Parts: sequence; C-alpha cells; structure tokens
Amino acid sequence: MASEPAFLEPVLLGALVLSAVITLVAGYRTIVGPTTPDRVVALDVIATNVVAIAALYAMFTARGLYADVALVLAIIGFISTITVARYVTEGDVIE
Amino acid sequence: MSEDREPTVIVKTVTRTVVPLIALTAIALLIKGHNLPGGGFIAGVLTTTAFALLYVIYGLDTVRRDLVTNAGGVGLLSGPTQSYTRAFAGGLALAFGSGVAAMLFDVPFLTQAVVFVDGIPLYGELEFASALAFDLGVYFVVVGSLLTIIAVVGKE
Repeated sequence: MASEPAFLEPVLLGALVLSAVITLVAGYRTIVGPTTPDRVVALDVIATNVVAIAALYAMFTARGLYADVALVLAIIGFISTITVARYVTEGDVIE
Repeated sequence: MSEDREPTVIVKTVTRTVVPLIALTAIALLIKGHNLPGGGFIAGVLTTTAFALLYVIYGLDTVRRDLVTNAGGVGLLSGPTQSYTRAFAGGLALAFGSGVAAMLFDVPFLTQAVVFVDGIPLYGELEFASALAFDLGVYFVVVGSLLTIIAVVGKE
C-alpha cells in the first residue's frame, strides 16, 4: 500500500475513538431511556456503530475478514430492528 | 392477518429485495468457509434470519402457502415445521455420515481430504474439500432447528 496517504491512520484512529464514544453514550440512553422506543433506537445506534467499528478496523488492519463481520452484523442488526419495531407497534412479532 | 396490522409497502419491498441478498451472503460464507472465516453455522444462522424476516413481515400463512408448501404432519409439527425437522434430521445424518465415511478409508473419524481439479473452463483450478459435506450437514442442522423453534413459537 505505497499510495496510502499519511493522514489515513490518524483519521481512522480518530473515527474509531469517535464511534466508541458514541456507542458509550448510546449505552447510557439504553439504560436510562424512559420509554421503550428510546431504548430501541439507542440499541440500533449501538449496532450501527459496531458495524462502523468493524469496517474501520478492516481498513485499519487492511484485512478483509472484518468486512465480512461488518456485513453479517449489519444484516442481523437490520432484522433485529425491524422485529423490535414490529413488537413495539403491534405487540406480536409473528402472526 | 387483519387489515390494520398489514405492514407498510416500504417494508414489504425492502424485504423482497433483502432476502435474496441475505441468501447469497449465506451461500458465499458457506462455500468459502473451508479456507476463510465462515462455514456452515454462520451460513445457517443467516439463512434463518432471512426466513425470520419473511415470517415477521409476511406472516405464517404466506410462508406456508407460497414458500414451504408441505401439508403433511400432525399437531405441533405439521406443515412447514415438518420440513424443518426433516432438514434437521437430514443435516445430522449428513454430518455424521461424512465423519463415518472417513473410517471406510482406514483413517480416523472425521478425517478430511481435498482434491484439486485443474483445467475447468472459465474458472481455472477448483478445490473440492470433503469438509464441505460436513459444513452442509451443520448448515441444515442449524437451519432446521432454528426454523423449528421460530415456527413453533410463532404459531402459539
């Protein structure tokens, strides 16, 4: 990777730290959050940020296997969000 | 499914687009699992999530009518659930058989072999690993057991 710019590594590190901090803040909202939709949205934010961390780490280490991790986590996070949203609005997941 | 509980058009369209993509990802993870991260278990889990999405959005009746049209079986294990339990049993038999097959060649249980085939048009070298049979067995065990749970719990 000779063409890699010099600022790539600090930018990736900063993005990783930012995603971790956002995940922590969303964790606070998950625990405190007064209503169930608050917690659902906070958990969705956490899932999205874990996907972002996996993708950033794939770029940081230049290893493709973390991209697979990000892909599978994104699929499972999407489905869990839809399922919980259906539970909150309908009260019944599968009918 | 009554009219007021119908999912929106957006989520139905997204489901129709996403489910084939999830199935494709699952198959890719299953095939490359011998050499790279992946394998039967995660492929089975992803296939189950695709089915779970169909169950959540389209409901038990649509899946029974259009996707898994099995009308046999009795009681709790009737309809699609019977197909899932058969997938579980078949996968277990396949995984076990792939282990026993090694013993027929006078090597220990679950010994794996690999064959490289050259000169295949458009593809070049192709690798046939006997671990794929075991992975397929694991795949069907995971899909069958998880879908049995989802179908039985969803029916209640």
